[in-house]
Amino acid sequence: MPDPILEVKELNVSYGAFQAVKDVSFGVYGGEIFGLLGPNGAGKTSTLSAVEGLLHPVSGTVTVAGFDTREKPLHARANMGVQLQATSFQPELTIAEIIRLFASIYGVDLQDDAVKRKLAEISLEEAAGKKISQLSGGQQQRVSLVISTIHDPQLVLLDEPTTGLDPQSRRQLWERMEHFRNNGHAVLLTTHSMEEAEAVCDRIAIIDHGRIIAIDTPEALIEKHRHDPEVLKVVRKGKVTLEDVFIGLTGTAVRP
Amino acid sequence: MAALLRADFTTLWRNRRSFRLVLIVPLIILISWKGLIDKLGGVFVLSSCITIGLTSIGLMGYSNSIARDRDRGVFQRLRVGPVSAWTIMISRLSVQIAMIVLMTVLVFVVGYFVDHIQISPAGYAAGLLMSMLGGAVYLGLGQAIVGRIKNPDTVNSTTRLVYFVFIMIGMFGEFGVLGEVIEKLVIWSPYGVVRKVLAASLAPATWSLETTWALLASIGYTAVFVILGVKWFKWESK
Repeated sequence: MPDPILEVKELNVSYGAFQAVKDVSFGVYGGEIFGLLGPNGAGKTSTLSAVEGLLHPVSGTVTVAGFDTREKPLHARANMGVQLQATSFQPELTIAEIIRLFASIYGVDLQDDAVKRKLAEISLEEAAGKKISQLSGGQQQRVSLVISTIHDPQLVLLDEPTTGLDPQSRRQLWERMEHFRNNGHAVLLTTHSMEEAEAVCDRIAIIDHGRIIAIDTPEALIEKHRHDPEVLKVVRKGKVTLEDVFIGLTGTAVRP
Repeated sequence: MAALLRADFTTLWRNRRSFRLVLIVPLIILISWKGLIDKLGGVFVLSSCITIGLTSIGLMGYSNSIARDRDRGVFQRLRVGPVSAWTIMISRLSVQIAMIVLMTVLVFVVGYFVDHIQISPAGYAAGLLMSMLGGAVYLGLGQAIVGRIKNPDTVNSTTRLVYFVFIMIGMFGEFGVLGEVIEKLVIWSPYGVVRKVLAASLAPATWSLETTWALLASIGYTAVFVILGVKWFKWESK
């Protein structure tokens, strides 16, 4: 088996006395879409932030393409593309300027024609001179994904990328994720949509109260837990789904 | 770095309202004080206007842009790329230093052509250099405010209040209008020491021991503000 592109080992993240992530370990391989699922406050974003290098874990290691994110943070980040939950680009810049800025940051020289081609790939060739606020939510997400992958990174991190998108935009994003996977990239996806996880993820990890409580393919998880009493209690219309397994494992209580 | 600088300068240019405000306030004061030059002296007027401009840049320009972009998540988006935190900050500071140079040169030009204030070439060179040191005091203060306060609206209102207090108490306090105690406090306040150092650098022959103390006080203020500002600063507003 090849080495994982992303390897998280015994990760612990704390905010003061509160431990948000407890001994989390997993790997994401090239040619794989890996889903990180969990209720609100389960530790998904903290785990992702530690991978992105935005916070320092108390202990544990994160390596991206062989680079430790603490020892070689810039090397690690150069090998990952990140799509944050909110599109957070300078509102004063045009889309073309933002694309060129991030291309330069990642060491990619993009001329005007190349920017146009990138925008044409996501059917936004007319948007080059527009500001980010002039685009719809789905268009902003498409631009954000282009920027995240402008340097052809080995690892793509997508933090709830389809939240608020219409079905067409969501399908288009799924196709792009599958395109990355098919080209050998590793994709780490966080989502609240079990339908999405079931549709695109090759493997998923369910995280709750800071710990990974299950990790496997969606089909294997359903098969493994289909007879659990907690799962059977929440099954609707007689067929066990990934959402039933998720709620069975994490409980029915609404998280703040 | 070059790409970040280009983006930060473009952002500054497109925020024309803030850009103009920062430059126009000291020029309006400079022009409106034309009649007072015989009484106050050209060096006093120039140094006061530059100090007011520096306060605008550090408090209104720098801290507000940092607070706004932090709240929008612009910094987090940059930080997940292969760019160090210091590169992001140096780019931001470079834009403000360019603004300081532009503002100071505009004050010199308007002072020369409109108010007919003439100083020596050495005075212009030393004044430009010291305006950057004075700028460091106010950029440091802006950093401390944006480090302590996370909400961009609160940063905006706080910087406006501090700006108003500095300008009003600084100007009227130095004139002795607010009493002797306030006058002494103002002289050794960040406003007073920066203005004193600027005034002496514009007329190098007038540099005295007191100016050297004012220079040391400016460096001390900068160090304290920067240390606190860096210590308190968080890259996200949540």
